This record gives sequence, structure tokens and C-alpha cells, in this order.
Amino acid sequence: MASGYEDKIMSPSVWHPRDTTEAWTFKKLLDSDAIYVAGGTLLRTQWESGLAAVPKHLIDLSSIPGLTGIEKKEDSLAIGALTTLGQCRKDPDVLQHSPLLVEAVRSIAASSVRNLATIGGNIVSRVGDSLPVFIVCQAEFEWNTGLSPMTEDASEWVERLQVQLPKASHLLTRVHLPLFRETDLVPKRFGAFHKVGRREAFTPSLVTVAINGGMKPDGKIADIRIAVGGGQTIPHRLVAVEKILKGQIPNRELLGEAYHAVMNGYRPKSDPFATDDYRKKTAANLIITEIWKTYSEWADGGREPDGAY
Amino acid sequence: MINKSLAERRSDKELECEINGQPMSLEVPPTRRLLAILRDDLQLTGTKVSCEIGRCGACMVLVDGRPVNSCLTMAYQCQGKKITTIEGIGQDEVDPIQQCFLEEGGYQCGYCTPGMIVSVKALLDDNRDPGIEDIEEALSGNLCRCTGYGGIVRSVHKAVQLRRNSS
Ligand SMILES: Cc1cc2nc3c(=O)[nH]c(=O)nc-3n(C[C@H](O)[C@H](O)[C@H](O)COP(=O)(O)OP(=O)(O)OC[C@H]3O[C@@H](n4cnc5c(N)ncnc54)[C@H](O)[C@@H]3O)c2cc1C
Ligand code: FES
Ligand code: FES
Repeated sequence: MASGYEDKIMSPSVWHPRDTTEAWTFKKLLDSDAIYVAGGTLLRTQWESGLAAVPKHLIDLSSIPGLTGIEKKEDSLAIGALTTLGQCRKDPDVLQHSPLLVEAVRSIAASSVRNLATIGGNIVSRVGDSLPVFIVCQAEFEWNTGLSPMTEDASEWVERLQVQLPKASHLLTRVHLPLFRETDLVPKRFGAFHKVGRREAFTPSLVTVAINGGMKPDGKIADIRIAVGGGQTIPHRLVAVEKILKGQIPNRELLGEAYHAVMNGYRPKSDPFATDDYRKKTAANLIITEIWKTYSEWADGGREPDGAY
Repeated sequence: MINKSLAERRSDKELECEINGQPMSLEVPPTRRLLAILRDDLQLTGTKVSCEIGRCGACMVLVDGRPVNSCLTMAYQCQGKKITTIEGIGQDEVDPIQQCFLEEGGYQCGYCTPGMIVSVKALLDDNRDPGIEDIEEALSGNLCRCTGYGGIVRSVHKAVQLRRNSS
């Protein structure tokens, strides 16, 4: 496959911009003949499988200084889009403050792929396994759009993706990941990330679920966000399920209602390996189990006060 | 139009890097895969080739000490980097990790072994006392078609023990 002959006939030019504006300029000038490349791991898969043609020009984002690294701010982590998944996986601040992101990153490919693959590439792929976590944690994506920097809430961005493709010239520069703390009003925070697939790290998942919530002192759910994706499904929030749960103490009836809302609200893409019904049931079981587990732990000893379980 | 200043930002075909401790200057297209450079251009065939899409780990090498799949890595991504292949591990004598694979039956046909050794080297250089979870995570990108994982894990445990004893 990788013979010298092939290299000669299809070797694209590689451009190394010095800053994001220069990268954007290359993209504008070379247009559809050029593509941004971060780690190149997803692109390589697409080229090798024939899903996408090798373009004439590659715009190497790794040459731009300042797009890597993780900075801890007062209430958030600022993650450079070119930070590798491997760096995220081992970063002390991510390990300490965002177990959900650690879990998601750990589930993506193997560590050798993660040493090349970037968080930005995972997000812009639109189906990356880190996306559900960014959605439920209310992350903000910072873009260079050529004019002025633009910041957009992760869930708004994915909502827009359901109807329109992202602008190919928009360059993701940074992710702002808010940190959630336990307070007197919300003394318990809970979260979960699940990826269900045939193999842990290699095949696209069938279902990916992320949950981020908080519980009040009386056991009522103070706030909750749930996102589902998996395979080629662009992840999305389950707003109706969140509404059912918010302000309530989980019990059998409530969770039954939430289960049906997951079945109705999740819009997975089916493929020859798994039907959408199978994916919906999997997601519903994961989400309901997780909420019940959290509540049971809180309620001490796994018993519900009204004795329903 | 790409002006003169932008035109300077184009990769040339000169790849300057270090391979197994030797400085190299290679004339290759910037998108040529490291796997092809190693095996076809430099005849370093200890690095194996199988899936070519990052899934099997046969082509594993170290780039600045970190394991990467050479089938996913392009020449320009190696500019100025230090690359270590299986030939560079145990260059003068058998590496203790290799010795452990020999003693514990960590291979059958041996095709996955160079990639496995490279991954284990990266793991032990990074973490002197890995537990089973660390070992499984570090080797999750290395497939063995002979499925001799029991022997492989035994070999890694022995290598860990050896490091522990020597430090
Ligand atoms: C063996 C293997 C296993 C994999 N397993 C998983 C998995 O389990 N889960 C998963 O989610 N993914 C998986 N992937 C896919 C891929 O590795 C990840 O999504 C990775 O994070 C992509 O990052 P990258 O830097 O390599 O992106 P690239 O391949 O460089 O780019 C991906 C896309 O994003 C665009 N892009 C990249 N960065 C930016 C930016 N900053 N701004 C604008 N556009 C940008 C590119 O133009 C391209 O369209 C796997 C890939 C391989 C090879
Ligand atoms: S040949 Fe590179 S991972 Fe399989
Ligand atoms: S020993 Fe044969 S592939 Fe692993």
C-alpha cells in the first residue's frame, strides 16, 4: 500500500501555518483542495478505507504554537485543541477534576493512537467519544472563524450539526470545560460515562452515554444533563428525560417514565450490526441504572424511602 | 494566490530526525508514512506491517519515547524527533524485556513481538511499577493473532519484577 510509487502519484503538499489566521488563510485560498490535519489518525482511516480521497493539500495544525496544553482556571479547564488524547489522559488537573473526561479518553482507541490523536480532531469528527462528555459538562468550544474568535456551547454546536455540516474553514482552537463542585445546596455531584461496543477500544461504539448531575440534600435531582451518541450518531442531549428527572426524587414510576423518554428521544443511526431499537434499549438501561445507582448510594444501603425497590 | 511569505510555509522533502540514535537526513515526501520509511527505505524490517490502520500494533515504534503506530505517522510529523525501532532496543545486547519474553514464552510465531516489546518498553520507562490495569491499557493496541496473551502478560510481569529488583 505505502509504496514509493504511490507516494509519488498522490503525495499532497503540506503547509505549516504559524498561527490560526494563517491556517484559515490557507484554507480559504486552497478551499476544497485542502484539509486541516491535527493528529491525522481519523483522516488516515478515511483515506485508507476509501471513505475520503487524499486531498491535494494538508494544512498542518500542529505547527501552530499555543494550541496544545491544559490550563487550570478558577472554574474551568482550558484545553488546547491540539492537545493529544494521551496528554489529556495523564494530565494531573484532568485526572483530579474531570473523571468523566478521563473515562471517555481512556475508551478511545489505544494509547499509541492517543499519542497522535487530538481532542480537537475528536470533537470536529462529530462522532468522537469525548463529545457526549463535553455536552453534559456544558463545555464551550472556541473557534477561529477568520473574522473574530467565536465561542459556542457544545450542545448548541451539536444541535446545529444535526441539520448542517460544520464550516470547513472554522478552526477549533480551545475547549473550556467547566468544573462542577459540591456545595451546601447541591452536596452530591454524580456523573457517568459508558461506551458499549464489541471491543473496548477499537470498533466504533454502539452506544455512548454521558451523564452529569447534582443532587440536593433531600435527594431531589438539582440539575442533570444527559447525552447519547455512538457509532455514526452525532451525540445529542436528551432534554425531555432531563426535564422529567429534574427536581424529583427518583422512584420506580419516575424512572419508568424516564426510560420511555429515552426510548422516544434517542435518535441512533442503525447499521447492519445493531438495530436502532437495540441501541435505544441499551441507552435506556444504562441511563436508568446509573440514576438508580446514584440515588441508592445516596439513600444509604440501596433502599428507597418509600420501599418501592 | 499564495504569496511569497505563505509559500515559505510549505514542507520540503528533507526529513531530519534521529533513528535509533543516528541522525538522519532523508529525502521523502512529507506525507510518506514512517512505516514505509523504516521498512522500505531503510530496510529496518523489525518493525512489522499488518493492518496499516492503527489497529494491530505490529508497526509500533517510539517517537520521543512515546509509542505510536508508524502506519499512522507521516514523515513531517517526525521532523526533529527521536525515533526508536525494535532494532534500537537491545542494540548491543538483548534487552531485559526481550529476555523476559524469551524466558516466559511471550511469543509463538513472533510477528507481534517487536510491537509488543516496544509498547512494554514505553510502559516501563514511564511507570516503574505498573499494575495489571496499566499493563492491559498499555498493550491494548497490540494484537497477537496466536493469542498468547497469557505468556505475554507473564513476560511483562517478569520484566516489572526485574526492574523492581534492580532499583
Ligand atoms: C485504530 C483507531 C481507533 C479509533 N478509535 C476511536 C474511538 O474509540 N473513539 C473515537 O472517538 N475515535 C476513534 N478513532 C478516531 C480518531 O482517532 C479520533 O477521533 C481522534 O481524536 C481524531 O483526532 P486527530 O487529531 O487524529 O484528527 P484528524 O484525523 O487530524 O482530523 C479529524 C477531522 O477533524 C478536522 N480537524 C482536526 N482538528 C481540527 C481543528 N482544531 N479545527 C478544525 N478542524 C479540525 C480534520 O480536518 C478532520 O476532518 C480511532 C482511530 C483509529 C485509527
Ligand atoms: S500495521 Fe500499524 S497498527 Fe497495524
Ligand atoms: S506470537 Fe504470533 S501474532 Fe503474536
